[in-house]
Amino acid sequence: MSGPQIILWVIALVVLALCARRGIPQARRAVAETNRGFWRILPMFCVALPMAAFLSELVPADIATEWLGDDSGLSGIMIASLAGGIMPGGPFVTFPLVITFSKAGAGVAQMTALLTAWSVYALHRILTWEYPVLGWRFVAMRLASSFFLPVLAGLIMQALLPFFAINLASP
Amino acid sequence: MLNALRRHASLVVIFLIAVTAGLATLQLRGAEAFMTALWHAWDLFLFIVPSLVAGLLLAAALRQLLSPDALARLMGAESGIFGLFIATLVGTLSPGGPMAAFPLVLVLAGAGADRGALVAFILAWSLNGFQKLLVYEAPLLGLDFALLRTLITFPMPMIAGWIARRIPIAWESPK
Repeated sequence: MSGPQIILWVIALVVLALCARRGIPQARRAVAETNRGFWRILPMFCVALPMAAFLSELVPADIATEWLGDDSGLSGIMIASLAGGIMPGGPFVTFPLVITFSKAGAGVAQMTALLTAWSVYALHRILTWEYPVLGWRFVAMRLASSFFLPVLAGLIMQALLPFFAINLASP
Repeated sequence: MLNALRRHASLVVIFLIAVTAGLATLQLRGAEAFMTALWHAWDLFLFIVPSLVAGLLLAAALRQLLSPDALARLMGAESGIFGLFIATLVGTLSPGGPMAAFPLVLVLAGAGADRGALVAFILAWSLNGFQKLLVYEAPLLGLDFALLRTLITFPMPMIAGWIARRIPIAWESPK
């Protein structure tokens, strides 16, 4: 297990202990919910991980360099923002795909923009959750106040990159 | 049948893409590349599962402890930057997918959180959710990238919430 994984386990067990101090039924409910959640997510993993792996075999090595490489600058950041915004699916799809793009030559700032856009625009989430629950006026208001964030995040990352050695393709 | 299909729509779509991509890999890159890809996916799976289980456990345990009502009282229209900060913090700590987060949005709205706080909450949850960070981003993309990206995007929900309070779009909170 890696460092972050150990930290995560320690935090999880501490919070579970807090739960148990409040009452054993609460702790038991937490464990039961964990179990249910795991089996709900598992099928997704079983199709999403092979999908990302196959796509990584199929994507030609140079295609992402030209459009999304480190030298693609602002235009690459904007393309990545658009792509991220329409990307469907949860994190189990997106993060393996980011590895795939990075192997194909995509830059770190561009992938930052893509991840930010996937979180901020999230077309699939707007259609399935935000619009039905909060209405289109809320969606319009939220997008109006946040549409510029993916490009901004990409540009900030680009400015900071010279000070950090980050390689997404081989973590 | 139609309902089940709707509920599992993304699963079906991803399955179809996976099968298509798998066949294309077999056809264009050969059997060896096909097996390499499958092996790679399995490796990644073994790598993610421990974090996934811990992340789910943390999420479930936190849900038993947090009281949304008490938090929402700190997020009213007059709460200023402090309210946006609390909303951002709560969003960052809120675990789970949209089926957990959006009902919570309604609870917060009903308990007095204003539009700026709700925008900040949704963005903080989707951008900087700790569960996504620890379960997926850090293991898959490296801790350095995950931390740097989160530092960059952490204040963004507060900025968006601040703007949302000033945007002239009439919106009634669903009570």
